[in-house]
Amino acid sequence: MVEFTWLDYFWTFAYLILMIGCGAIFYRLGKRSGSDFFLAGRGLPWWLPATSNYATHTATDTPMWFSGWVYAAGLRGLWYSLFTGWCAISAFVSTKIFRRSLAGTQAEWQTLRFSGLGAELMRGWLAGWQFSMCMFIAGWVGIAMGNVCHYAFDWPLWWGLVLFSSLCCLYVIAAGYWGVIIADVQQGITMFLVIILVSVWAGIAAGGPTEIVTKIEAMGRGWMLNPFHFTGWFSGDFPIMWLITMVAVPFLGGLGMATHFDWFVEAQRIQSARNIKDASYSIWWGTAAVIVRNSIWAFAVLAFFVIYPDLTDQSDYQLAWFRIGFEFFPVGMVGFFFAAILAIHISTVAGVLNLGSMYATRDLYHHYINPKASEKQVVFVGRLMTVVVLFGSFFFGLMIGEDVTKWLLFALWLMVAGTWLPNILQIIWWRFNAWGYLSAWVANLGVCWLVVWVLPAFGILTDLPDYVQFWLLMLLVGVIYLPITLLTKPDDMDRLVKIYVQTRPIGFWGPVRKEAERRGLLRAIEMMDLQAEMEARKEAGNGMD
Amino acid sequence: MGWIRRDWTPHEADEWSKEDWIAVILSPFSYILITMGLALTLFLQPLGYILLAVGIAITIFLFWVIDPKLTAISSEYEKKQRQYLKELEQIQRWEEE
Repeated sequence: MVEFTWLDYFWTFAYLILMIGCGAIFYRLGKRSGSDFFLAGRGLPWWLPATSNYATHTATDTPMWFSGWVYAAGLRGLWYSLFTGWCAISAFVSTKIFRRSLAGTQAEWQTLRFSGLGAELMRGWLAGWQFSMCMFIAGWVGIAMGNVCHYAFDWPLWWGLVLFSSLCCLYVIAAGYWGVIIADVQQGITMFLVIILVSVWAGIAAGGPTEIVTKIEAMGRGWMLNPFHFTGWFSGDFPIMWLITMVAVPFLGGLGMATHFDWFVEAQRIQSARNIKDASYSIWWGTAAVIVRNSIWAFAVLAFFVIYPDLTDQSDYQLAWFRIGFEFFPVGMVGFFFAAILAIHISTVAGVLNLGSMYATRDLYHHYINPKASEKQVVFVGRLMTVVVLFGSFFFGLMIGEDVTKWLLFALWLMVAGTWLPNILQIIWWRFNAWGYLSAWVANLGVCWLVVWVLPAFGILTDLPDYVQFWLLMLLVGVIYLPITLLTKPDDMDRLVKIYVQTRPIGFWGPVRKEAERRGLLRAIEMMDLQAEMEARKEAGNGMD
Repeated sequence: MGWIRRDWTPHEADEWSKEDWIAVILSPFSYILITMGLALTLFLQPLGYILLAVGIAITIFLFWVIDPKLTAISSEYEKKQRQYLKELEQIQRWEEE
């Protein structure tokens, strides 16, 4: 149980006031329009969404699962954390394409990329799916906070879940995405500083870097310091096939959209950037901050391992990073550490509340229920939906309980296995249509539960390693959506030409490009560009005069 | 480095080129090398210094290559964005069509 001094209480309350204050300050901007409430007016310089990316992806559960991996697997656990690597390629491929589409959400993208009833069904499906997923994510992040407060203050799990997410909801309701993004900047800076401080304190407590290495080697576990220590091609805990999956899936996933569910959060940041370059930079540098954070965390977790080498229960060692802060920080700094935990927690919950509300408002209410809604009505419904997502998160959070890591692996990895390839195909293959995509999403949902939970529970299928499950799910779902794609009509050529000219996707778009050229659309754009360039040069010349 | 093009018109920058390939191939290596290199560096491992240094060098090179292209694409697209946004709002309010 952690004891707070008056200075600790000061840090905690000061920080809460600062965060909620952001909502009050940006209240006027947030209520101007739907575009402001959900995308901050689409005019942000790259470093704002980049910091928000980093802050949103540093949640209360993140140090838990990360500690769990590194404590058990050593530096090999870093490969798990590279699932964020999809941003490496996405920043220069799908981010550019999505930014040019100007779609506010991934659901909206469906009605731009596809045509007809299939497109509308996909939009409705994705909007409902994401609305629910945002509740789920806010729930598991919230229950992680419940676990931290239970460890630190012996509170019941639901106190930590309900209290801080509700406080966070206040500024999201007030200022929408403006509040989220501005709070994320100060939260991102605070948490990065504290992550460095915790690693420094952990290093000192464990005797310094050289001593940590010596002690780990003396325990006969030198392999923990080698991220390239694998156990053969297919056998053992960390076979090379696992590594290939770990690298190929996220990085190649960057060619597509929605290959990881982080994409949905990033999509909002991409559209809030002021232009294509800023969108690309925000994705790349936000994730660069995430990978740097992971390496700094790994040092703290291995220092913790040296201090407490005999923990065998995952629910104990997944709290490694939190325990360093609570047990080793000096008096007065513990409150600052807790304030940083609040920053970590609230930045993610805020982003997810606003995102879930955006899907419910823009894609369900505004698109289907009330297309003639005024900006005032859109903002009002946005606020209302923020509260709905909050209450939904309480339900999911209590369902997840203490086993945060297990749920995360399922959600991060396997729930997207069947749609991984379709998410790439929608970008690189003109013939992939809405019916193929819709069937992939529906089939994945069923097949995923069958392969991971139901069939093993009945002894029909053995428990497979996660990387084998991934490829199996991809194949099984492929057997369903590929025939459906080829047996149904391609999307309307007008729609395909329009999205091609606007977004310039890569890959197999030959017939669409040919049609765009036949209609003179690419030539027309070239002429517009040349004219604009000549005008710019003329203006520059006048300026010189 | 004459084989890397750094002067683009907006229309030329729209087309996929070897500079895009360079960015797409080097970018994952940059992430992997920085992650592993920094972690090992914090434990004062010589391999870490090498991986981190190579990771940083790759990152600098990658942005040196791709930045002019991204700048050209952005400047061109911003001029068309207003019209595209107007069309997007029409799709959003489909009942009015």
